[in-house]
Amino acid sequence: MLSRTDARAEGSKIPAHRLRFTDFDLTLPALGLLVLFFVVPVAILLARSVSEPVPGLGNYAELLGSSTYLRIFANTFIVSGLVTLVSLLIGFPVAWALAIMPSRLASVVFAILLLSMWTNLLARTYAWMVLLQRTGVINKLLIGLGLIDKPLPLVNNLTGVTIGMTYIMLPFIILPLYGVIRKIDPAVLQAAALCGANRWQALVRVLLPLAIPGMAAGALMAFVMSLGYFVTPALLGGTANMMLAELIAQFVQSLVNWGMGGAAALVLLVVTLALYAVQLRFFGTDRMGGR
Amino acid sequence: MLLNFDRLGRWKLVLLGITLLTAAFLLLPILFIAALSFGSSQWLIFPPPGWTLKWYQELFADPRWLESAWTSFQIAIIVTVLSVLLGLVTSFGLTRGRFMFREALKALFLTPMILPVVVLAVALYAFFLQIGLNGTLTGFVISHLVLALPFSILSITSALEGFDKSIEDAAVLCGASPFEAKIRVTLPAISHGIFSAAIFSFLTSWDEVVVAIFMASPTLQTLPVKVWATLRQDLTPVVAAASTLLILLTVLLMVLVAIVRKGLKS
Repeated sequence: MLSRTDARAEGSKIPAHRLRFTDFDLTLPALGLLVLFFVVPVAILLARSVSEPVPGLGNYAELLGSSTYLRIFANTFIVSGLVTLVSLLIGFPVAWALAIMPSRLASVVFAILLLSMWTNLLARTYAWMVLLQRTGVINKLLIGLGLIDKPLPLVNNLTGVTIGMTYIMLPFIILPLYGVIRKIDPAVLQAAALCGANRWQALVRVLLPLAIPGMAAGALMAFVMSLGYFVTPALLGGTANMMLAELIAQFVQSLVNWGMGGAAALVLLVVTLALYAVQLRFFGTDRMGGR
Repeated sequence: MLLNFDRLGRWKLVLLGITLLTAAFLLLPILFIAALSFGSSQWLIFPPPGWTLKWYQELFADPRWLESAWTSFQIAIIVTVLSVLLGLVTSFGLTRGRFMFREALKALFLTPMILPVVVLAVALYAFFLQIGLNGTLTGFVISHLVLALPFSILSITSALEGFDKSIEDAAVLCGASPFEAKIRVTLPAISHGIFSAAIFSFLTSWDEVVVAIFMASPTLQTLPVKVWATLRQDLTPVVAAASTLLILLTVLLMVLVAIVRKGLKS
């Protein structure tokens, strides 16, 4: 990039064709967009967290010193952890089955996975709001089957958020796991059988360990994504189990408290980046993606 | 044995059962909403007592729904065009360049994808309050573009990395200008990457809700914001009708992608 600046400085002595773009220059428009409308706004927000209403770390002290806010942090981690765990428990057998199923059946399941992933988030969340309400299909079905007498509180609480979020995260767990299990050489499992391992031993001591990179990568991604979710917890959760993203929105929208909003945003940002660094360190960028 | 479907024995049924149940779980809300949007009950009773189109009539009779859909569409189209153009130029720089910090730059371009959207939403909202871009089309386009661009860069760089540059060089040797070679040789070869960049960008913008909630004004809002605002009041079946149309668009785009992929293979 220096060469071009020099060329410019020398002006007309340089023939026109030497004024060509270097490869770095090609990235400048996007870089400009990103710096102006991403880096700078986030930096300003974080700066406000230590300058409003008074300079100092007061906002952070308030955020980390209040039991109300600590409960929101704890709830955010509990929901994300629970969602990740449930997604992993359901996702592993599905990814495993997908990796070995007859291809026609597998492609049908894949189409369903992609359809659900691509379907508008609000449409899906709305569906769960209706399905899970007191007079909703699920409660009616359970009562009809005689399993319960009174409708279960399935929405506006932890159950609702967990169901709705697991629904969203499942594809993000299944797809990377599928990739990993597919690459495992079946001969390794044949060898285990030859050495006398029964099915359980082969599963626990060969297949599961070999799938761990996929599980860890998928789980980490689902966990990080869950931490920052706003729409689904806001619509399916209750007032008692607010999550961090909602808290940030509330500070800014209803309380117009930019200092606290910025501080809460920084906490979310730091946790996300730290977990993302772990992901990069151990699994590289190739399993990122999805919406 | 564990990786051979036919030799799984009883486990085969268990795996198959879990997979089919999961597929049903994933499909259930989508089919349910589509069915409810034609149901006659205002209280979203399932199965509905009768079938009707009145929610769609109500949807299309309300100018605010149509306006927000039109706003969403305009924004998504502008974002798609800008995202593909910027993504293309940036990807050429990133894949062909041999400059310092190239990997770091690439990582920076992908960060909007991994950061919690709410942080970007709040930060942009504050920033746009200062410069008067909240509630404007420009504000929507910029914020959606920041979110869509990583998908463009990811799709196009991976296509470019898979393209053998010597073919482009050969075109230059045969007398094409470097620019002409890029337009007539390289672009057609990476068209699948450009196509997925466009689809991802469109859907990112079209479905985006968190930033849009902050960007929206009483006079300018996108379809997801309208859905969100309506949902906060009640669970009216009109939202089911709007959701069904959103789902329909997704299915159409998926079919389009499948057709294009098939076309590329043959």
